Amino acid sequence: MNWRNVWLITSREIRDQLRDRRTLFMVLVLPLMLYPALTIGMLQMQWLFNEQPRTVVVLGAQNLPEKPSLQLVDGNAFVPGWFDSPEHVKKLKVVTDAPSQPGEEWDEDDLSPERRARILSACRSIQESTEKREKIESEIEKLAGKKDVAAEAARLEAELTAVNEELARDFAALDVQVMIVIPDGFAGQVESLVESGTDDAPPAERVLEVRTVRNVADKKSHVAYSRVKDALAKWKQHITFARLEQADLPKSLVEPFKQLETDVSRSEERAAQVWGLLFPAILVIMCVTGAFHPAVDVAAGEKERGTMETLLICPASRTEIVLGKFNAVGLFSLTTAMLNLVSMGVTAAYVASVRSSGEGVPTSLGALTPPSLTAVVWVVVLSLPLAALFSALCLALATFARSSKEGQYYLTPLLMVTLGLTVFCMSPIAEIDPLTSVLPVVGPSLLLKELLTTGGTLNVLVYAVPVLVTSVGYSALALWWAIDQFKREDVLFREAERFDFRLWMQHLLRDKEPVPSFAEAGFCFVIVMLLYFASSKPFQVFTGAASDPGFELRAMQALMIQQLVVIATPALLMAVMLTSDPVKTLRLRWPKWQYLVAAPVLAVCLRPVVLTLMSSLSGWFFKAPPDRFAEQLEAMTSGNVELWIVLLAIAVAPGICEEITFRGFILSGFNHSHRPALAIVLSSLVFGLIHVVPAQVFHAFLLGLVIGTLAIRSRSLWPCILFHVASNGSQVLYGQAVEKSIDSRWLDPFVTYTEVVATNGELTRAAEFTWTTLVIATAISAAILYWLVMRRFHTEQASRSLEPTTPPGDVKSLDAASVG
Amino acid sequence: MIHVEGLTKRFADLRRGFVTALDDVSFDVHAGEIFGLLGPNGAGKTTCLRILSTVLQPSAGQAVVAGHDVTEDPAAVRAHIGFMSGNTGIYDRMTAFEMVEYFGRLYGVPEDDLHDRIDRVFETLQMNDIRDLLGSKMSTGMKQKVSIARTIVHDPPVLVFDEPTSGLDVLVARSLLQAIAELREEGKCIIFSTHIMREVEKLCDRIAIVHRGRLLACGNVRELEEQHGEPDMEELFFDLVTKHDESLAARSETAPVEAAS
Repeated sequence: MNWRNVWLITSREIRDQLRDRRTLFMVLVLPLMLYPALTIGMLQMQWLFNEQPRTVVVLGAQNLPEKPSLQLVDGNAFVPGWFDSPEHVKKLKVVTDAPSQPGEEWDEDDLSPERRARILSACRSIQESTEKREKIESEIEKLAGKKDVAAEAARLEAELTAVNEELARDFAALDVQVMIVIPDGFAGQVESLVESGTDDAPPAERVLEVRTVRNVADKKSHVAYSRVKDALAKWKQHITFARLEQADLPKSLVEPFKQLETDVSRSEERAAQVWGLLFPAILVIMCVTGAFHPAVDVAAGEKERGTMETLLICPASRTEIVLGKFNAVGLFSLTTAMLNLVSMGVTAAYVASVRSSGEGVPTSLGALTPPSLTAVVWVVVLSLPLAALFSALCLALATFARSSKEGQYYLTPLLMVTLGLTVFCMSPIAEIDPLTSVLPVVGPSLLLKELLTTGGTLNVLVYAVPVLVTSVGYSALALWWAIDQFKREDVLFREAERFDFRLWMQHLLRDKEPVPSFAEAGFCFVIVMLLYFASSKPFQVFTGAASDPGFELRAMQALMIQQLVVIATPALLMAVMLTSDPVKTLRLRWPKWQYLVAAPVLAVCLRPVVLTLMSSLSGWFFKAPPDRFAEQLEAMTSGNVELWIVLLAIAVAPGICEEITFRGFILSGFNHSHRPALAIVLSSLVFGLIHVVPAQVFHAFLLGLVIGTLAIRSRSLWPCILFHVASNGSQVLYGQAVEKSIDSRWLDPFVTYTEVVATNGELTRAAEFTWTTLVIATAISAAILYWLVMRRFHTEQASRSLEPTTPPGDVKSLDAASVG
Repeated sequence: MIHVEGLTKRFADLRRGFVTALDDVSFDVHAGEIFGLLGPNGAGKTTCLRILSTVLQPSAGQAVVAGHDVTEDPAAVRAHIGFMSGNTGIYDRMTAFEMVEYFGRLYGVPEDDLHDRIDRVFETLQMNDIRDLLGSKMSTGMKQKVSIARTIVHDPPVLVFDEPTSGLDVLVARSLLQAIAELREEGKCIIFSTHIMREVEKLCDRIAIVHRGRLLACGNVRELEEQHGEPDMEELFFDLVTKHDESLAARSETAPVEAAS
């Protein structure tokens, strides 16, 4: 590694980017302008879209009490006393059916008498419809439980639907958001309640009903109603208090206590909430955006302008070139992120200070205190691995592109995924825990959120280590990928030819290779994943709820069908259609007998080790899966289904189907360029991902590594199937044995039992493997794994000595065919 | 200086399936000579030269440049080669001087000698007037000059010119050919690829005719004329190419019969 070359390339790229107006604009100008401009824009929008007054119709207004202290409506507005702020009164315009005083002047924004009359008549018909609806509903209720009334019920249902339709249509046709109906005799009853002295009229027994009509689905109606509701509540309370006063009773009769609020938050803390929400999001998004354009320019742009080869023929190695470019992109990513944060912070603080010092409603935030120095340091520390990760990812993707335009297409999905992750991290339920701390982007983002909001308590700082270690690891992986891309001829010299679907299909079906390509393997996984997703609904319908009778059996059947249709079929079809040697692709050759013995032994010996590992991780690292999932799992292992069916569905079917797909087609495709270690890791990763629940994903990934090694070493699928069946089968048998340990005691030499209280409060039995079992199982597993790995060298050396004679022969014969 | 033996390159192509772009090509080039690679477009000239510049890896065969194997020590090969082709453009946002200086540094020219060396190259190529001009503002001829300056700034013993005159007007092409001839006088080992017959006749000491990835003939002009009994280079070239195509066609017709037997 010649660091001078790296530095030369870095400095050239930086200078080059600084001479590019587009980059300068994106990286330097935009962040500084964006936030002030956005703020101004938002203020203007506020003026533009001021809340318009909404119309409230009051029917039966003549029934409202006229006594000033009990008045609800005054002219065409509510009485301000029933609202928190006089501003709110203006938001509601009232139309009443009270006869207007002769000679009364109408304001010009008021309704004309004709329009008013039309609205009122429409409202009356709505009122009738609501009454009709209630009548039908009560009749339907009466029918419930009676026999032989199906026809009558159907008729009523139809009537109800018709009335509902009519109501919705009429209300929508009116430009009225809320309608209030005051019943007859309301004023008299209320006034008699409150009037003092005249005790000759006893308080009425009947509680009168004031009806409000609104449309919850309509935002305007909803907002207007919430205001009306508050006003009516205040008005009601006032009447209640007046009645109590009149009867010489204390107010506490209806209001046993008053609720007081004390907020102990300091302004720094309130500000920290804002920074904690905004900073991680802006940091992540801007790290991507900042890396995006320079990456496209230094990689795809270099190809497009025809200078890529000039650089490739200089003595600097590909690694040095990529590192140089990576440094430059990283610097721009970091600069963009930092400038954005500073610009946003300053703008936000300024706006908050203007609003809180000005008159009017005080903001809930008050002046925004700037984040503390420690917080700023953390922002910088965490932005480094983030910028590095995004720079390397962008660079790798942009290297693959042939032109800047293509580069932008490839990078857009990255941007979308990042936006999704950011939104997830902003949600209040997303908190840092051991699992999220090791996820890319999510880890640093959540850690930063936590650090900014809590100010870095010790139990948060603990996570800094895993977050930083994994982030640096992910960045290194991404960088390695970028370098790898840069070393591939087919990536660097992709010709810009017009894409022709027919030609491409021809190429796929004609130029078959014995094993699938990397892309075909990836495509197979995507198809399996999509089918899995699409089939989840039909299977859910098929199995029904976990409490339904016969659920266990149907779940087992569903599992088997899913394995066959969703997992195995795509891989089998693709192997036949896209490869010239499906037998080699799916590794259907017979292996040496040692592997057939080693595979099941290894599976059974690994079981206690893996189970112990998983149970030691569960709870703190992997949270318990959703209840629904646990319920289904329990139902499946409850023993209501015969054992052989369970074994068939959980051990044999996945053993065969998943192996065909993951160790057959996908592993062969990933190993296309003969990098078995990478192929094993990648195939295990996709094998894990198909298992959805985090703990299962990890579990499958670990086993995938072992089975992948088995597949590569034995060059056969049979040991893999044996391993998979033995592994899943032993888990089922173990689970059943623990459950029924009273009558089957074969597990007793290996485990110790403890009584634990399950989440549902029942006492259940939990088993733990004894130390001797674990030590022996680990030793045997390790020995077999060692044997597998050591065999690798023997087989590799053997195949290497054969290599010069076999592969060229293969290709030659292909060439001869293609020349003709 | 350059030793090529059995060089072969294959790759997959969307339209044509598996393609052998270079098929078992062997030749040697010595110091102080210009070796011409002559062939129609798509003959495999560029692929061959890209392997020599270590940008591509050979599928089979061996190539040694200035004593370094292209697969075993690619960095050393690159350091001893000056390479110029239609695909080695210059940077738009760098001036001529910055461009040459940058590559001088990348090629490891000592900092003390670098500016002297650049001055001399700029003097020789008469490009002092475009010294501070940005690449984006240059004409094709100016760009070509900068490319040559970039190619020779580190004074490499081996020079490769892949169709250097394509797209140039007569005047610029002529001065470029002159510059290449002068480099031969300095004792450089030069490979010059082209599809223009006249340039080969004028410039090259020895010629190799390449077609469909195969080396059809190799030698100096007189040797080739004698071997094939054809005094006119253009006719000779045409004859060789048609004969090769005919033999390929014949072979593909007999191929199925062979397979059946």
